[in-house]
Amino acid sequence: MGDFSDIIPKVIDATKEIFTGMVMMDVDQEGEPSNELGVIKDSITGMVGLAGTHKGMLAVHFPNELALAITTSFLGMDVSEINEDVQDAVGEIANMLGGNVKTLLTDRGYDIQLSLPSTISGEEYTFLADSDLQQIVIPFTAPAGNFYVELELEP
Amino acid sequence: MAKNVLLVDDSSTMRKIVTRSLRQAGLDFGDIFEAGDGLEALEVLEKEAVDIVLSDINMPNMNGIEFLREKSGRDGIKDIPVFMISTETGDDIIGEAKSLGAVGALKKPFTPDKVNEVLGPFM
Repeated sequence: MGDFSDIIPKVIDATKEIFTGMVMMDVDQEGEPSNELGVIKDSITGMVGLAGTHKGMLAVHFPNELALAITTSFLGMDVSEINEDVQDAVGEIANMLGGNVKTLLTDRGYDIQLSLPSTISGEEYTFLADSDLQQIVIPFTAPAGNFYVELELEP
Repeated sequence: MAKNVLLVDDSSTMRKIVTRSLRQAGLDFGDIFEAGDGLEALEVLEKEAVDIVLSDINMPNMNGIEFLREKSGRDGIKDIPVFMISTETGDDIIGEAKSLGAVGALKKPFTPDKVNEVLGPFM
């Protein structure tokens, strides 16, 4: 699982904390973490880049239906299509998780800077990790669907 | 007297959420102004009667640290208290923010109770 498997439980806890505290939605980890994700369909991905002593990326992959539910709960207003509000909300979740990962890595002596969050979405796309990065994909379940938190990090 | 608040964050979602959290925390505040980065925040501070600033750190154009540095050199606005609201709450970056005049920090994610605990004494 790589050298950073010890931080996986903390990433899981951080994800739950963000959803419970900010999105007002309870989520759970469901299934074992893996090293690959495969094809992503009808989804939106939020991500932040990691740079510094170790490069990498933190991404969250949400199916569209769940992204709409998250944004609706996050903002307290109905959202029915993937728009700037959804992109902003998904990017902010990636940003908050990235901040947590940065803190976890700083505790290990890494010096990490975060990029600004960005999003991509589409009917079908693949997220490929650089060959020199370790990849961990953590599956979660939420009331409106399943999603994945992905961490790629230079060993 | 209710305090006027300036929210500085490049995410409009976060600005909405902070506004909602201020209400849910039961804090007494007046007008809420918004800015998308440090540059916009400086413009607002020069024009509006702002009592307290809640600022993100990681922003485009002018980030929260650069904003604090620029603000600290401007008479008339340099004494307005600033709280950092960020995912980045490591000792190094918060230490730098406080050395530039930030009076406190609120870590994302946060709850209304935490908002009340941190900001209540200043509101």
